[in-house]
Amino acid sequence: MIHMSCLRSKCKGKFTIACNFYVLCFPPASSPGYIAARLRGTTRSVKMLRTYEGIRFFSDKQMVILDIGSAYTKFGYAGEPTPRGIIRTEIKCPDSKELRKIYNYKDTEDLYQLLIEFLHALFFKHVVISPKDARIVILESLLVPTQFRDTLAKVLFRHFEIGSLMLLSTHLATISTLGVNSALVLDVGYKEATLIPIYEGEPILKAWQALPLGGQIVHEYLMKSLREIYPNVNITEKLVEDIKVRTCFVTTLERSAKLETADAPKPPPAVKYPGVKSINIPGEIREKAFEVLWERDNDNLSIPTMILNAIIQCPIDTRRTLAENILLIGGTAMTKGFASRLKSELLTLVKSSHYSEKLKIQTFMFHTAPSKPNYTAWLGGAIFGSVDLPLRCLTKENYLKSDRVPDWVSLIDNQRDESTVCET
Amino acid sequence: MSYLNQPDYVCYVCNCGSLKPISKIYFCRHCSKIRCGYCVCQEVDSHYCPNCMENLPSSEVRLKKNKCSNCFKCPCCFQTLSTRAGHVPLRVAPADAEDSKDVKTTPKKVYYLSCSLCRWTSRDAGIPDQSMATGGWPEQENPHTYRINTLIDYHKILASIEKQQSEKKKFRPKHPYMQIAMFRITSAMVRKHIGHPTKPTTESTDQPSPAVASTEVEELPTDIFTEPVEVTKITTLEQRLQQPDIQTENVNELRPQHRQLLVRRSQRCRVCEHNLCKPDFCSQSAKFKIQLAAFYHVPEVRIVTCEPLRPGKSSELLLKFCNPTQHQTQVVLLPLDTPMTPILTIVDEKEEVKQDNAQQESESPNLLPSIVRQVPVVEETKPIRIIANADVVFPQNCLILPRRDDAAEYDDTGDTHNFQDDPKFVIWRKGNKAVIKLHVTPHENIEENNNRPVVIGFVMQYRYVNTITTLEHKAPQKLDLKVKLYLTIGNIVGSA
Ligand SMILES: [Zn+2]
Ligand SMILES: [Zn+2]
Ligand SMILES: [Zn+2]
Ligand SMILES: [Zn+2]
Repeated sequence: MIHMSCLRSKCKGKFTIACNFYVLCFPPASSPGYIAARLRGTTRSVKMLRTYEGIRFFSDKQMVILDIGSAYTKFGYAGEPTPRGIIRTEIKCPDSKELRKIYNYKDTEDLYQLLIEFLHALFFKHVVISPKDARIVILESLLVPTQFRDTLAKVLFRHFEIGSLMLLSTHLATISTLGVNSALVLDVGYKEATLIPIYEGEPILKAWQALPLGGQIVHEYLMKSLREIYPNVNITEKLVEDIKVRTCFVTTLERSAKLETADAPKPPPAVKYPGVKSINIPGEIREKAFEVLWERDNDNLSIPTMILNAIIQCPIDTRRTLAENILLIGGTAMTKGFASRLKSELLTLVKSSHYSEKLKIQTFMFHTAPSKPNYTAWLGGAIFGSVDLPLRCLTKENYLKSDRVPDWVSLIDNQRDESTVCET
Repeated sequence: MSYLNQPDYVCYVCNCGSLKPISKIYFCRHCSKIRCGYCVCQEVDSHYCPNCMENLPSSEVRLKKNKCSNCFKCPCCFQTLSTRAGHVPLRVAPADAEDSKDVKTTPKKVYYLSCSLCRWTSRDAGIPDQSMATGGWPEQENPHTYRINTLIDYHKILASIEKQQSEKKKFRPKHPYMQIAMFRITSAMVRKHIGHPTKPTTESTDQPSPAVASTEVEELPTDIFTEPVEVTKITTLEQRLQQPDIQTENVNELRPQHRQLLVRRSQRCRVCEHNLCKPDFCSQSAKFKIQLAAFYHVPEVRIVTCEPLRPGKSSELLLKFCNPTQHQTQVVLLPLDTPMTPILTIVDEKEEVKQDNAQQESESPNLLPSIVRQVPVVEETKPIRIIANADVVFPQNCLILPRRDDAAEYDDTGDTHNFQDDPKFVIWRKGNKAVIKLHVTPHENIEENNNRPVVIGFVMQYRYVNTITTLEHKAPQKLDLKVKLYLTIGNIVGSA
């Protein structure tokens, strides 16, 4: 109740109705029944709730929302519209002073120490919270290895002694940002692109898709191409990431088809990139950097086929809804031209002989979340985390009793095995 | 204190398994154990702005989203911006306006923000100057705040419906992780819930309109294939991420950001929950309210010199010991495989009773029975990675070190203590410090060029007088505590 007296002291002397409402209405989250009772009230009271954003704290410990991506970590508090920050998922090793990516861990023990160092910096430098007894929501990808999840839970409970943990599936949490209950969520991040269709609030797990397509493979292409041109310049991943973000784009399907042919279109202008040694980024590289995401691999798969293959694996009565509710998230999906290229690829592909027989879909529709795609999943968590859901929280007591993350969290693993059996 | 910056030649092994120099470890007087930054509970103690040094109470920190309201950082290079005063350029009156001739305008003082490092100014960015030095700078708000708040409120309603339903049906979701029952709640149920059961056609203001998908997507600008690009006018990813909700591409659209606050941390022993280190509330002060650095409680060991080391050959090693406490101590060096159980010596008025206190080892210090605390969360100890590769001849003698006497530091009259030291063992002593001689033999298998330094390890047993018990009206306890040390003494020169 400390914060309430603080609020009270803030508006000393000019006690408005609104302030009154707040001070009187919101006990700490320990009595969710009370909040529910308030919400059962009239329209007016709910409206007031919304008007005074910024003071919407129910408990002394704000819920912390973390989306630890393979390249960037998005962090902030539940109920806020913007993450407090986005930082690289890497940490300077205290012994070797080497900068290391968390996901490039060697083994469980290495990961344990990396996570301790990384989360320590995250809690005290960025999120700014005492981790002990904190309530934390973690967004996790469908493909997160059990080793990673278990180690993360162990670090959070055993080392940082957090109070409770809620693990939320990235794709599922994301649809909270739309106010709809069906969507086909495609996440194109750094290491991979993952997709799960969600129909009426339930994920259709057997239709999940994943390919190693994302920022990393684009970086590899750029590094290779630029090293060929500038063998004497130190081409680092950080450098190519900056070049990618500032100069590269996804070209149109039309131009892409002609790129390697005799009547290739005139490339976009080259860009002078300043640095210790100024380099010139040829127009061809700017245009071709993202082509790797659209080229078919040996199994004839690429980003657009993920969407179509997922829809085919869903029940017939759900297909149209899903095709008309596509949501793109992840940093790579923010690239200029990405969405329009995806749309034209889809429209061309459905007409191809491979898909025209199986799919009777003509239109694809795309959602825009009230956020930038690179933190949409975080926002879903922030909306979700503002709701009191004790059933979905793993408490410290329960964790310490069983010393593991319960089975229901690992459900997706079991489902995945089942679906791979179906496919083969 | 220059040795603080040196590589850690002398490392103490903490109870958690971490190897740390003495400057980085704590000594919990309540548990009589060594603790370190890894195994203590760290807490946010206070918030302060690194620029204006203002301290903020945590309630305010929360409202201000952990940002200083007075200080801004440069959106380009992230340095702190300074406020500059300027004058409004006098408005030149049109030549034909006669009345304006006599009007005397005094230049008005205005303020703008400027970066002294990269020369960014708020004027370049098109932010209007302010008439007050303290600010009033326009704040950027997330353009979707209203929509997001509507969604949050809506989810709260859904959650309460879900809760009611699950209470009614005694229903527990089979797979709460993957199924979110509340997404299957229909709008009719919501209307009923919030009190519009009879008017299903009325648009409820509390139910946000669901997002509408569109066949239109953002197209690639066609001029991208022809327009030249000036990289310096395009923001870097780092600059964009400073404002996640905007992530502008245009350098001119960058806006100054409030400086983030920093925290001072306090450290608490996880076993007994006592504070080990608590900074002073005032941010300018470097003092600590409670400081239980091992530096004040555990004898410090420094390497003085070491003879050239050869595999299989014995060399002389000189170590300096220093007793930082107010009580005389005695130090005994023991082999690494010595059991680490501390020996508790209860001081009675009449006689000293020696007894092994096995309970201490089990991390449950019953020395303080009056304190009721929650069961500590136990973390596994880290395995020790360092391996000693030289043998030490352990001396039979114990080294007695007198208490620290600050006054004696300036006293050149010589030592008044009269110790019967073995000159082969103790080769120098002054006040609370002494240098001893050890014989070390590097293992035969170490070669000169494999860059593996020679490491020795031993257990240091030291007498510690715990005065904390006097607070509980008990006699001070004398304990013989043990700590493992690993010393990197040098490299091999020449072969055997
Ligand atoms: Zn420790
Ligand atoms: Zn400040
Ligand atoms: Zn600057
Ligand atoms: Zn303690």
